[in-house]
Amino acid sequence: MRPEPSLFRRLALRICLVLAFGAAILISAAWYYARMAADDAYDRLLLGAALQISENLTVESGAIVATLPTSAFQLLGLAESDRIFYRIVGPSNQTLTGYNDLKTKEALDKIQTKPVLETGTYKGEQVRIAIVPRTLSDPAVPGRVHIIVAQTTEARRAQAEKLTLQASLLVVVMSLVALAGAMLAIRYALQPLEELGMTLRRRDPRNLTPVNVPVPRELKPFVGSINHFMHRLNERVSLLQRFVADAAHQIRTPLTALSAQIDLLESEKLDASGRQHLERIQQRTSELAHLTNQLLSHAMVIHRADSVQLKPYNLIDVTRQAFRAAVPITLDPDIIVSFEAPDDDPIILADAVSLREAIVNVIDNALRHGTQSRLEVRVCMAEDQATVEVEDDGSGIPPDEWEHVTRRFESSKHSEGGSGLGFAIASEVLTAHGGRLRFREKEADRRGFTVILELPCLNAEEARYMRLASQAPFASQQS
Amino acid sequence: MSLYRLIQLCFTLLLVGLVYSSAQASEGETAHFPALQTETARLEIHAATDTVAMEPLIRDFQKTAPDIAIDFVEYVTNDLQDKAEITCQNKAVIGDLLISSAIDQLVKLANDGCALAHVSAETKRVEDWANWRNEIYGFTFEPIVFVYNAHLVPPDDVPRTHAALADLLRQRIDYYRGRIGTYDIRVSGVGYQLAFEDTRQPSSIHGRLIESMSRAEVKVHCCTNSSLDEVASGRLYIGYNIIGSYAYAASLKNPDLKVVVPRDYALILSRGALIPKTSKQPALAARFIDYLLSERGQEVARREAFFFHKDANLPEGVDGPKTLEESGISRPIRIGPALLAMQDEAQRRRFIADWSRLMIDIKHPTAAP
Amino acid sequence: MRILLVEDTFDVGEAITRRFEAIGHTVDWETNGKAAAEVLSFTTYDLVILDVMLPDLSGFDILTTLRSAKNTTPVLMLTARSEIDDRVGALDLGADDYLVKPFDFRELEARARVLMRRGSGEATNTITCGDITLDLSNRSVKIGKREIQLKRREITLLEILASRPGRIFSKDELLNKLFGFEETVNSNAVELYIGRLRKKLEGAKARIVTLRGLGYQLVPDET
Repeated sequence: MRPEPSLFRRLALRICLVLAFGAAILISAAWYYARMAADDAYDRLLLGAALQISENLTVESGAIVATLPTSAFQLLGLAESDRIFYRIVGPSNQTLTGYNDLKTKEALDKIQTKPVLETGTYKGEQVRIAIVPRTLSDPAVPGRVHIIVAQTTEARRAQAEKLTLQASLLVVVMSLVALAGAMLAIRYALQPLEELGMTLRRRDPRNLTPVNVPVPRELKPFVGSINHFMHRLNERVSLLQRFVADAAHQIRTPLTALSAQIDLLESEKLDASGRQHLERIQQRTSELAHLTNQLLSHAMVIHRADSVQLKPYNLIDVTRQAFRAAVPITLDPDIIVSFEAPDDDPIILADAVSLREAIVNVIDNALRHGTQSRLEVRVCMAEDQATVEVEDDGSGIPPDEWEHVTRRFESSKHSEGGSGLGFAIASEVLTAHGGRLRFREKEADRRGFTVILELPCLNAEEARYMRLASQAPFASQQS
Repeated sequence: MSLYRLIQLCFTLLLVGLVYSSAQASEGETAHFPALQTETARLEIHAATDTVAMEPLIRDFQKTAPDIAIDFVEYVTNDLQDKAEITCQNKAVIGDLLISSAIDQLVKLANDGCALAHVSAETKRVEDWANWRNEIYGFTFEPIVFVYNAHLVPPDDVPRTHAALADLLRQRIDYYRGRIGTYDIRVSGVGYQLAFEDTRQPSSIHGRLIESMSRAEVKVHCCTNSSLDEVASGRLYIGYNIIGSYAYAASLKNPDLKVVVPRDYALILSRGALIPKTSKQPALAARFIDYLLSERGQEVARREAFFFHKDANLPEGVDGPKTLEESGISRPIRIGPALLAMQDEAQRRRFIADWSRLMIDIKHPTAAP
Repeated sequence: MRILLVEDTFDVGEAITRRFEAIGHTVDWETNGKAAAEVLSFTTYDLVILDVMLPDLSGFDILTTLRSAKNTTPVLMLTARSEIDDRVGALDLGADDYLVKPFDFRELEARARVLMRRGSGEATNTITCGDITLDLSNRSVKIGKREIQLKRREITLLEILASRPGRIFSKDELLNKLFGFEETVNSNAVELYIGRLRKKLEGAKARIVTLRGLGYQLVPDET
């Protein structure tokens, strides 16, 4: 699907079109009026010159004498570069002086009292022609004399062009100002939209609280539906959360009671077969408890991946807590368990609860299925990634099953009766944190089988920034 | 050779003869200026200006363009005008460049659409009054002056204004009768132009001057140089409305001849150059105009040809205000449509008729009606 | 020792009570949060075992009240809830340890023992020998940077040996110091612990030397 052009572009384009259209009309009008004004101004000169010539007509001894006043030509000369043609026509249509072939459109005998102005061509050029009739009040020469003065139109055209250009310049400048203003106005008007978009973009997808940004009336429905949707989603999430929590409680409590009651059974008072049964019940109960824990843990991890915002934590702290929780005090005293951390603090963005759960599961898995006599947990730090390594001296998992064991309920054969979920949980948590679960093969004598939890690590600057931003450094988890 | 061919030849010769003689009738002398190097082009200038005056300019131009030959055809102003008008109407060719001191005639030509426009860096420096439509460029600055013969005109008599001249002629009419010379405006376009311009001056002094000159039985001449010769030789005492540059050139040859720039007003004539529409080599003609307007051309003109310059002091020995521009008496004849008024045929006829009645007919009272 | 158990599930409470009483502790068992809080306000205990989900007042609330009253009694929390909505982790509220139900009762007992011992307060200094560091306050042992987990008696044994490196401790001396006079243990037990400790100290820059017929000594490596 072709993306729709942005609102800004849509508005800008249309405003541009309107302005361009307006400017075109204004410029056309300016041109029209400029021509009118120029024509008007120069027509006055032309008419003035013609009238001057007509005033200078005299009759001497029965003959019409046309004295051409220089001033008339000086007047016309105000249109500096225009050529001037004239003709004085006597009562019987004879040319008294001037250009014989200067013709008028309007028949001369129709022009009787009022001067006439017209446009024509002479000598191949466009000219403006003024015709002034003059009745000589001398009985010797009855009839009318017509003074025809023509002038080329260069000056008026130049004047019109100059006026049009000035007006156009003004129009263009005004249009540009209007355009700039409109652009600013559009930007200003679209700002709330941009801000809303920004807020939504910056928002953690796991944040389900209502969007609380002041928006103009037009945007209220959008924000309203977003918030409505958020609200519903939040309700669902809470419901699920409550369900998982309740389920955990509801299942764990009787299970604990069950194992408590089994614990109360005194094996010494039972016969051999009874003792055997008790052992099997104990074993199965323990398995059941383990599986329940993993299932709940898995549900929790999945839920939290969708709903908990990541915060900066020191991976060493998280790992140490997990280590304490995962290694039982009742562990076989012959097993050497160690924890090693680097001097620097690897700061990671994490949901500490999930991550702890992941590490607990990996350690627990190693203790249950791997460790013979040694378990080492190490936190390591490379440039942009931090790792938690859990190494044991067991037989390990063969490489062709690595892929396999990270899937739910699929476990390697060496962990019989297996948990199945430990690696799956760890893997899912790591994926949600932008990391991954790796394995390292056992190396004869030197190194045991290692499960590696790899996480992206913040550099010092990011860590400082995040700490400032979250305002609750390495704080407890809040959902 | 058959008889037929013989007749044909005779006809041809006759025809050539006719054409030649008619051409002779209107054309003056042609001066040839061969190219300094191999000739690649020939510029034909038709001018109502003395060849002698133009020669230094032409020769200097050829230094900048050694491959150009120049033919310089000299006319009396009216002849040039007649020929130019006829060739324009017939779309025939009249050389590549017209130069005339009768700029009203050039204006008429331009107004009738007989000229080509030319714009260049040089033409941009020309002042407004000396340029019309970029078609006519005035390239000289020539005050109109009085001349007198210092032998015959006592120092006290030397007129320094138009009014002084009028008064002198009135007071000593017997001494100066028949001893005043000026243009014959019937044949001289410049003369007509200057006389017409005189009438346009606001003071009433001109009427008095005409009257005085009429009574003093003024002598008229076709050309500036003949008036100057007469004054120089002592047959005339005073010359009126003489083109300053010619007068100064003559005064250099004859120390008795003195030049006065009138102190009340001095008409300034700017000789015009125009490229006719039918010019075959308008670019070459434009190049010559550019040369005339260039600093180099102006300098040569000031030094050797026309002596006066807008920005320079008056040449040595000329009686008048120190600089024309500053004294405020200069009346440049503006090259523009206003000159059309004096080119009107009816007007011209009447003006010349009025003038003739005063200046010529009066000397033959028998001829007067 | 006196233990307060706050647990509302009868079966569980009964089992815990029985187990701790069997090893000689006194257990007060409350099933109601409010009642427990009241009891705590006037009685001093060596350990509180606290379930989270309780009627009237939750385990968290009790813990918070306890800690805000500057009461430092060790608290071991039992939780049945997954941590899906535990607003605040038990440890962050000041619990000393926690166990998720269902748990192994032996583990509960072991952790309780650790907490009670810690509660009685011991020296707060560290002993070093070679690159072995023994922190007596939290009873942790480090070899270089590596933290190793030692059992209670192993730590005691290390403490004895490391307190005076180079000194030879006879087997009887060690036996007495480890188990006291009341306990009747085989003298082989010393060899057993020495063996385990030696194994766990592998790679350290100090080692336990056996002087046949004389006893044992901890010797830092010559640099």
